[in-house]
Amino acid sequence: MEAKHDVLVVGAGCAGMRAAIEAFDAGADVALISKIHPVRSHSGAAEGGINAALGNASDDNPEKHAFDTVKGSDYLGDQDAIEVLCDEAPGDVYELEHWGCVFSRTPDGRIAQRPFGAAGEPRTAYAADITGHVLVHVLYEQVMKRDIRTYEEYFAWKLVESDGRCQGVICWDILNGGLKTIGAKTVILATGGAGRLYTGTTNAYSCTGDGMAMALRVGVPLKDMEMMQFHPTTLSPSGVLITEGCRGEGAYLLNADGERFLERYAPNAMELASRDVISRAEQTEIDEGRGIDGDVLLDLRHLGAERILEALHGTRELSMTFAGVDPIQDPIPVRPGAHYHMGGVDTDLWGKTTLDGLYAAGECACVSAHGANRLGGNALMETITYGRRAGQAAAEWALSHTTVAVPESTVSDAERDLAALLGREEGERPWAIRDEMAQTMHENFGVFRREHQMEAQGKIIGGLRERYEKVVVDDKGMIFNNDVTQALELGFLLELAACMVVAGLARKESRGAHSRPYDYPSRDDESFMKHTMVTWAGGTPKLDWAPVRVTKWEPQERKY
Amino acid sequence: MDVALKIWRYDPESGQRELKRYEVEAPEWACLLDVLDLVKDKVDGTLAYRKSCRMMICGSCGMRMDGRAVLACKERMKPIVDRGHVPTISAMGNMPILKDLVVDMGPFWSKIRAMKPWLEPGYEEYPEKESRISPAAMQPIQKEALCIMCGCCVSECQSMESDPEFFGPAALAKGFRFVGDPRDKANVERLEAYNDEHGIWDCTRCYFCNERCPKGVDPRDAIAKLGAESVKEGIDRDMGAKHAKWFVHSAKTTGWLRETELVPKTQGVVRALKDYKLAISLAKHGKVPPPFPPHVAKDQKEARALRELVSAQGRDGAAGIVQGEKGLAHAVHAGEEELERRKEIRP
Repeated sequence: MEAKHDVLVVGAGCAGMRAAIEAFDAGADVALISKIHPVRSHSGAAEGGINAALGNASDDNPEKHAFDTVKGSDYLGDQDAIEVLCDEAPGDVYELEHWGCVFSRTPDGRIAQRPFGAAGEPRTAYAADITGHVLVHVLYEQVMKRDIRTYEEYFAWKLVESDGRCQGVICWDILNGGLKTIGAKTVILATGGAGRLYTGTTNAYSCTGDGMAMALRVGVPLKDMEMMQFHPTTLSPSGVLITEGCRGEGAYLLNADGERFLERYAPNAMELASRDVISRAEQTEIDEGRGIDGDVLLDLRHLGAERILEALHGTRELSMTFAGVDPIQDPIPVRPGAHYHMGGVDTDLWGKTTLDGLYAAGECACVSAHGANRLGGNALMETITYGRRAGQAAAEWALSHTTVAVPESTVSDAERDLAALLGREEGERPWAIRDEMAQTMHENFGVFRREHQMEAQGKIIGGLRERYEKVVVDDKGMIFNNDVTQALELGFLLELAACMVVAGLARKESRGAHSRPYDYPSRDDESFMKHTMVTWAGGTPKLDWAPVRVTKWEPQERKY
Repeated sequence: MDVALKIWRYDPESGQRELKRYEVEAPEWACLLDVLDLVKDKVDGTLAYRKSCRMMICGSCGMRMDGRAVLACKERMKPIVDRGHVPTISAMGNMPILKDLVVDMGPFWSKIRAMKPWLEPGYEEYPEKESRISPAAMQPIQKEALCIMCGCCVSECQSMESDPEFFGPAALAKGFRFVGDPRDKANVERLEAYNDEHGIWDCTRCYFCNERCPKGVDPRDAIAKLGAESVKEGIDRDMGAKHAKWFVHSAKTTGWLRETELVPKTQGVVRALKDYKLAISLAKHGKVPPPFPPHVAKDQKEARALRELVSAQGRDGAAGIVQGEKGLAHAVHAGEEELERRKEIRP
């Protein structure tokens, strides 16, 4: 064992850093592990904002926020988790402000709030269109202030499970090479999403579902894994995110005929309908021949240069750089792309998983604040509120337990597995498997899902997993060998893909992001208002169900 | 399209360093990072470089293309291929190379930490709600808040090349992010620290940081703003501050720069006298105007009117620093019409 800590946080984006700060302030010896430097985390790419019922732009309250979120979740969200989120959000946002977060302001100096999709009030606090960026930096500032130990460029690979507890993490040291074991009384997973399962994704190369897969491998269930959100406005062709803030500011979505087609899908909310609704509308337009080379258009021109430069400066920069389009003069070509995993490691309201000593927060977790469809602006809020709660709970647990033990065999098993991968000389390199996985997931497990395509995808993933067992890596060196870490990431992704397909096939209804218009076009509350729960058994996913926790909102028909 | 690249490889385990040429087939929309990925996938898996977001926000992929620091995800390859150029890719400068295009960012982060880069609000117990700050009061730090810590500015910094201890453009821009924040109550302590040796006055004003910053942070402007704030707070012990102050004083009194007085006022009389040989030599070559009679501008009316106009705007300290030309260049690039629109929204 290289070192040990009370609380070890894996992943240093918004959720991870917020958890570490809270655990530190609770008196625990805390450390962060991250495969990239904390400020490189993909939380920083969040653009539009963070939802809290501050009431700065209208008469708002946490109950309205909670109802919008429950409805947005297509009644799959756990309502107690949603109430906690919405009640605690304002305090958490004020705290970020006092830490120095550079929020955009109202003329009278309060935190500005803008309208966002499926929100009844203008509730999204923001910093122009770089909200995630300013949050990551303010959190890292607080990490530096506390001098919290950070294992930078450590790739977490396996959880240490011993004596029915999670007691540490085995990592590959990217800068120096070699496996390093960090012991811990509690481990908090905060590794983010797995968008790299898809070709068209807003997600960074780092978003490979590491934490979800590590939890799965120690027997912790993953919840609602079929629920992958497709964001309606990803830039064509690269998949880079164009913020929902554009539509919050008043942008239009147009088809090839120049028609605001949402009139036919969401006549009341129009461009501010829920993300699943808009992605389906766009995909339908494109499938029925009213797209432009597989895209629709996001038109900002009527907002005027001044507002675009002030509130959507980053969007303009992205659009000019990656699509050669200046949104002041031309509409932006966009399409739906994989964006956010509502599913993840099953946790309770304090981030605790079914394994003692293991916690999870942020996108890699599923406390189920988002159910079948997340509202824009709720992800950043979840990272902060549930990151804080996980940090507090993990610290409390750690401070009441004393021992950390890592069995020799766990370390030697890992050493052996890695030696097998590095020692293999003949065979296929991982990239073709990665590309085939991402391409087929897009085709067979995308915005619309068909039974036979999902079944085919299950077989494809099975075949890819067999090929993966025999992959070779070119780089055998010790220093900055990301050839080996990228191979390990692919292993994580393939297992998650298998879980998603199993859960998707089992959910024989259309709810939120899981849309089956050809065989089960409507929501079936009687049979399926419940969570899918996938565990890993004997090398394959095993499906189970768990009830949705309802507090006060009975399911209604969902219209925008 | 067919893309060719030359990459400076470095293998730390053998110590071998060589320039290798690669050719791959890439889509027309590919950026430099996409091409590196193709090389790594299809040609040589040992190629090492950092990457993550591929959308100019994480700051991982700073490297040099043809000797200039860039973000690999921001550089489009098509125009380069179209003109038949084969670019040379290498690691960033001013930082030790670990492998291929990967540098040791350790010293970079130590300097960021040395800035004490966290808000000091001056209270322990937070008020229940947010602090009230007008949008205008937050305006001065908007550009610094854009910084993604990619290191491109540090890579190009001339001062750091001669003095590796120089705080550098990224750290100082981070410093100004707090000095310019109306919520921060430690600005004087910060300015004192940034005025130390290796601090703000060691910048040679080569403007490479402004030129190469991929996000328009304009770190040199941040350094200038720190200088102006220091003088405003009376922190002028450094020669750099004295020099700047005398410059202003000279222009204010006679409407002209009196260079002969500038040297003793900047360095102090004793030290200036020690440089008499240099001074004589400069004078011989006509590089120094004679001190007597004092240099006085012929028509000072216009200059004085301009000064009065500026002082009436209350633009002392950081507020008096004109923002970098880069923003203006962007606007020109976007067309005359927009330039006009931008003029309207800029104060």
